[in-house]
Amino acid sequence: MKFSVIVDALPHLLGAAVTTIWISLLGVMLGQVIGVLVCVARQSGRRALDVAGGVYVSFFRGVPLLIQLLLIYYMLPLIGIDVPPLVAAIGALSLASGAYVSEIYRGSLNAVPHGQSEAALALGFSAPTIWKRILLPQAFRISVPALVNELILLLKASSLISVVGVAELTRTSQTISASNFRPLEIYLAAGVIYLAINSALALFGALVERRLAQG
Amino acid sequence: MAITESPAAAVKTPAPAAEPTPMVTIRGVSKAYGPNVVLRDIDLTVNKSEVVCLIGPSGSGKSTLLRCINFLEVYDRGEIRIEGQLVGYSDTTPRRRLSNAELRGLRRNVGMVFQQFNLWPHMTALENVAEALVQVRGMDKGAAADRARQMLARVGLADKADSYPSRLSGGQQQRVAIARVIAMEPHLMLFDEPTSALDPELVGEVLQVMRDLAADGMTMVVVTHEMGFAANVADRVAFLDRGRIAAFGPPREVFHESPDPRLTQFLQTYHERNSF
Amino acid sequence: MDTNLLVQYGPALLRGFGVTILCWAAGCAIGMALGFVIMLLRQIEVKPLRWLLRAYIEVIRGTPFLIQLFLLYSGGPAIGLRLEATTAGILGLGIYGSAYFAEIFRAGFQAVPKGQVEAAHSLGMPYGGILRRVILPAMLVSTVPALVNMMAILTKETVVLSIITVPELMYEMQTMAAETFASFETILGMALFYWLLVEAVSRLGRRVEARVTRFLSHPSNARA
Repeated sequence: MKFSVIVDALPHLLGAAVTTIWISLLGVMLGQVIGVLVCVARQSGRRALDVAGGVYVSFFRGVPLLIQLLLIYYMLPLIGIDVPPLVAAIGALSLASGAYVSEIYRGSLNAVPHGQSEAALALGFSAPTIWKRILLPQAFRISVPALVNELILLLKASSLISVVGVAELTRTSQTISASNFRPLEIYLAAGVIYLAINSALALFGALVERRLAQG
Repeated sequence: MAITESPAAAVKTPAPAAEPTPMVTIRGVSKAYGPNVVLRDIDLTVNKSEVVCLIGPSGSGKSTLLRCINFLEVYDRGEIRIEGQLVGYSDTTPRRRLSNAELRGLRRNVGMVFQQFNLWPHMTALENVAEALVQVRGMDKGAAADRARQMLARVGLADKADSYPSRLSGGQQQRVAIARVIAMEPHLMLFDEPTSALDPELVGEVLQVMRDLAADGMTMVVVTHEMGFAANVADRVAFLDRGRIAAFGPPREVFHESPDPRLTQFLQTYHERNSF
Repeated sequence: MDTNLLVQYGPALLRGFGVTILCWAAGCAIGMALGFVIMLLRQIEVKPLRWLLRAYIEVIRGTPFLIQLFLLYSGGPAIGLRLEATTAGILGLGIYGSAYFAEIFRAGFQAVPKGQVEAAHSLGMPYGGILRRVILPAMLVSTVPALVNMMAILTKETVVLSIITVPELMYEMQTMAAETFASFETILGMALFYWLLVEAVSRLGRRVEARVTRFLSHPSNARA
């Protein structure tokens, strides 16, 4: 073990960690949007929407992320869209995340008693208003711990986008250890960085959860 | 019978001698869940400013009937009209079921109070009351908050405006739920066992608010197990049994003069359960 | 894809599938065994040991599987640990799974109703007997859904082994894709295949679950 190796590589690794963080954040945020849309579509009462949503969720939860990633990476140029690997990677992460998020929301919606929408209905609320003011705000609160957990999962999963050449933390570690022949030190450092980010996130999640529980 | 009318009943202003105006007319309403018939050919008229209590054993169909009045339950046959307007269907032949969007106009004039209060837990008492004023009546937020404050004061909860429902007792939650409804100035209020989920010592405060509403001339249909309330406050009482109205009339008649054996048995059971 | 390709690459793909199943089964077995031992060790009231095990679990669960694999396969030789890709892959899967399995077992252990253990104690059963006849069966019942879920997750993780050149299905497929320039079709085929595989593992798991918990659904046990 030579710690000087780690010290030398640290600026590069930290820079790459920032890339990992913002890619994951973007993936989770887009995943939120997809997840909410899919969840609402599945609860809309239209059979076609429900089936389509169900297939989407089943596919993106059933197929390994690495394959989803390559699928999008190879498919987009085929249908004439030439995108940089970064975009394909974020797309894949968002789609996968959306599938999980929609299930998280589905579970949370089931935890909101039916009487609450009934009260709104009896007062003359429109369906979109009930979603916007009654159901989604509560589903969101119930979901917070699961959503923070989802961000942690995505952060770890984002290491896979290294295979399409996106220079995030894992890819950068590979590049550095291939040039200095010190994989043990470099990967250890990368592992510690991942661990630090995730621990901070977990702590943050616990704090937010406590805040919401007080409301 | 142990049920006695208090002097308060006599104080209530008698209905004007003029021809009463019907608020709700129910004609030949039936409903079934598959082979299970829950309402059979119900006829009932509720006049303006009148309080009608629906009583009966559990499973008699009283809650279902109440929920049909604002179409939270769909009725299969017959018709329900509120102020002349047909509930839940287009007034054409053949009739067409209205969507929830089309029902909004009717529902904003019909308030409903639920057994489980159904307050929205992520909003304060004030926000619970103001929400519908903003979303349905289109009031601006400041005016809605002012009005919500007045309504909370009316049910004796002015000091709880900023409390979340989880910090309120059951009785207080139900009073907020009533404030939420009266803020909308409904023409008619439906109560679905409003005190059944409450601890006994909290029942009184909710019934008092309901008495005040009745005294102010609100038209009310109340599903209840509180026979004292029915005897003292209701203008008329309907006893439902197995989906039918088995007895209907002023409380004195229903409680003391009805020949219906099932009603006698129901009141007997009630009396035994509520005596020491 | 024409049939020539299947004839040409069929054997390699079959071999790859075999390696996938081998890695998955061996990884699950190692993970569960290790996880179970960790759970048992965590019952011992020695603070440093508890901290160590807790740290192990947090580290494994807080870092990407791929980093763990790289560390084991590429970093290993630096400390004299020279593993062949497949061995590293199996060991990696096992270590990765062990942290999750340990947590599943711990939850199951805590879910065993105290009264049942007290009842066994009051009957004078020895601790070994109580563990074997009372705690473990109750644990099994409550942990099966989570175990099945984790096994399905590990099915998906096997494809990551291709990155450290374990010749499993994903690796063989990518070799074929590169040689035939039919990348998209190959990947699509892989996606459908794994979709079915994971679905099959989940379904099989649900059947095992129904079987293991059968006594719970019996009316005479409903109030247990």
